[in-house]
Amino acid sequence: MNVFPLMQHERLFVPFLDEVDGTLCLPANATASDIHSQARAHRLRFPLLLDEAKTLREQITATTHAPASCRFGPYCDNILGMNWRLPSGRIARIGERVVKTTTGYDWLRFLLHSGSRYGEPVDYVLRLRPDCGCTAIARFDGDTKALRSCVSKLLHSGWMHWWDAVDFIADAGAAFVRVVIHCVPEEAAIFVQQLEQIAASTFTQLTLQNNVPPPLDGLPDLVIKTTPDRVMGLAAELVQGARRCVALCYSGVVHVYMNESDDFTERTQALAQPHAAELHSLGGDWHSRWLPATPPTIIESAWLNTLEQAIHEH
Amino acid sequence: MPDLVNQGGWRWRYREWHDDSAASPVKTPLEHQLKALLPRGRVLTSPAQLAGYGADGLGYKNHLPDAVVIPSDAEELAGFMRGAKALGVPLVMRGAGTSLSGGPVAVQGGVVVHTSALKKILEINTEGFWCEVECGVTLNVLDATLKPYGVFYPPDPSSGPVCTLGGNVASNAGGAHCFRYGVTSNYVLGVEAVLLDGSVHRFGGPAGGRGPWREDWKRFMIGSEGTLAAFTRFWLRLLPLPEKVWTFRATYPDLKTTEAAIHALVAHSSYPAAIEMLDPRGVAMVESSQMACGLPEGSFMLLVEIDGPEALVNARVQSVAELLRHAGSNDVMFSDEDDLRQKLWKARKAAGGLLGQLSPAYVVQDAVIPKRALAEVLQLVYDEADAANIRAVNVFHAGDGNLHPNFLFDSRIPGELDKVELISKRLMQRVIEVGGTLSGEHGIGNDKSAYMPLVFGPDSMRLQLSVPAAFNPVHQMNPLKVFDNRHFSA
Repeated sequence: MNVFPLMQHERLFVPFLDEVDGTLCLPANATASDIHSQARAHRLRFPLLLDEAKTLREQITATTHAPASCRFGPYCDNILGMNWRLPSGRIARIGERVVKTTTGYDWLRFLLHSGSRYGEPVDYVLRLRPDCGCTAIARFDGDTKALRSCVSKLLHSGWMHWWDAVDFIADAGAAFVRVVIHCVPEEAAIFVQQLEQIAASTFTQLTLQNNVPPPLDGLPDLVIKTTPDRVMGLAAELVQGARRCVALCYSGVVHVYMNESDDFTERTQALAQPHAAELHSLGGDWHSRWLPATPPTIIESAWLNTLEQAIHEH
Repeated sequence: MPDLVNQGGWRWRYREWHDDSAASPVKTPLEHQLKALLPRGRVLTSPAQLAGYGADGLGYKNHLPDAVVIPSDAEELAGFMRGAKALGVPLVMRGAGTSLSGGPVAVQGGVVVHTSALKKILEINTEGFWCEVECGVTLNVLDATLKPYGVFYPPDPSSGPVCTLGGNVASNAGGAHCFRYGVTSNYVLGVEAVLLDGSVHRFGGPAGGRGPWREDWKRFMIGSEGTLAAFTRFWLRLLPLPEKVWTFRATYPDLKTTEAAIHALVAHSSYPAAIEMLDPRGVAMVESSQMACGLPEGSFMLLVEIDGPEALVNARVQSVAELLRHAGSNDVMFSDEDDLRQKLWKARKAAGGLLGQLSPAYVVQDAVIPKRALAEVLQLVYDEADAANIRAVNVFHAGDGNLHPNFLFDSRIPGELDKVELISKRLMQRVIEVGGTLSGEHGIGNDKSAYMPLVFGPDSMRLQLSVPAAFNPVHQMNPLKVFDNRHFSA
């Protein structure tokens, strides 16, 4: 028997900034500048931003990962809670404002990237990180073999934990590796020394941009999730039919950006479909904000029916 | 009426009796049915064989199953599950039984499915940063196997020498180094699950996505505490091993300065991997034992660990030491040598073991709170425990705000358990009021299920209950866990 009666109301999140825990609750339609205006005063940052102008909700609908997921994990590890508007119009609290929880079933991660199938987010609780004050972008240029070796060196050492991003970027006709570092100014020289060593040992050319804002690639048109060892090859292949591919090397994610003239729906489908069998066998996936959600399998339709009854109940 | 039984001759434990009496003699038809599903040696039914399956690490609540089955491999487990629904009894998955929430215990009787035989490490892929393991692999065996490859699997619950990955995934286990590295759910790329109808499904895989499904079902599986499916194997994400580790130990005269140190550490650019705390009652417990290590009487101890590439982490050592001093400690020790680091960890590690030796029984809570409320909630623990004359020791993951107040009591003394439950109830109420949650890494089990109405409102509660309704609608799998209205009726 319960020692506490069932609550009559949801314990909804009220917008807040907790500078001690580094957590920020703000509307789902907030933009990067809304986050910066609150976080920077406390020397905090939300590193998983892709676009200056798009809302958080648009960014999270577009993809599961950002370049800084290399260091901090996907969005679902950096969004702790949500106020979620159900189809009935009522708002439910999903998740927590603390970083660890095993209290109940994980609806947060289930709903976060579900688009508008089960309602919509109203507010997010973000996990912020210390803003150390100094961001730099390193670019490695070289041939394919050298770039592969460079990425391998970047990822296969204890340094891997300290790169904000390790991305292989394939443009039509050119490719390079981009590393984002974020550190206190006193440590910048140590990072640079390590980058120079990697460039020398992999026969790549290193170019550094110091004290620059983190890169904002914009919202990808197609997102493919595979294993880290496959992303470079996949990005190099997919860019043949796109404007740019950004492979998030540790996350195993390829962000595909289409040419403006493309029919996005048709083109994204055409790019992803040839890889469907391999992705499924690896437990990977793809999705695009231009494509409808994959139809449910027969098996999961039965599970979804039960969940949807609860979601739609008034 | 509750009965008291002496288990193993060294420790009194509390046994609860049920209407359908979990301790009743094994029903012959069940034994017969089980032996039709599994080879004879894989079915245990004698009281002596069942005795070790009555409790988990929580210890003080004992519910004997009617039988235990030990499938020899994944295929045998799937075969068993295909026939298990027709048994009409509860099924409780169990790894090493180190859970601290009453999770893998047959509260309604039935069959415990012990997965200890599924212990193969199937693949290690260092280029793809993943490994594939069976659910019965123990955490330390995985660590030792990965180490030569230069990679590691970060979650590190203190039961690592014996706990299994199946239990870790089922309870979304954490550990001392979660402050930077995160918990189990951050590292599970895929789950192979066997449902009650015997169907085997792969949710995710090495790539960590949805696979062929529309939805990412593994999200519900992780942390589901054995209430949805039986797990057979997992795909886990790996990280490169850090090259260098520095361990710091600092003591503080009071809670306020300790809290200030914690707040400064969590914002520090060194991103500590671990920020652990032992309170003065824990310090006194260690110092009065054979594990004494010279901690000042009445002090709060912080244990901090930073790791990373050698050049980087060495450059950070003095700033961390200075931070600890600046916050109010004049007793800061640190080292990068393994022997000395182990000595610095000694008090923290000893505390967990001593609790079990000092008290006939104890309850450990697992609440997570916003860190600004640390001092306030710890004071509440002391005040409530002192007023009830119950000993309370706090050893916990301060960086995450993940409290582990241990309430030591003697279940032979009438009313002691009631007092502990009352303290726990008041603690949980306050935890929720300050914006925290019931459990950070132990799971809910049947130990905290009574507090779930504090957390979920009517809509979120309905969503919560729909998950077991989808996969396990009659609650045959691990009934009365997570939500205490999950009762199985045959």
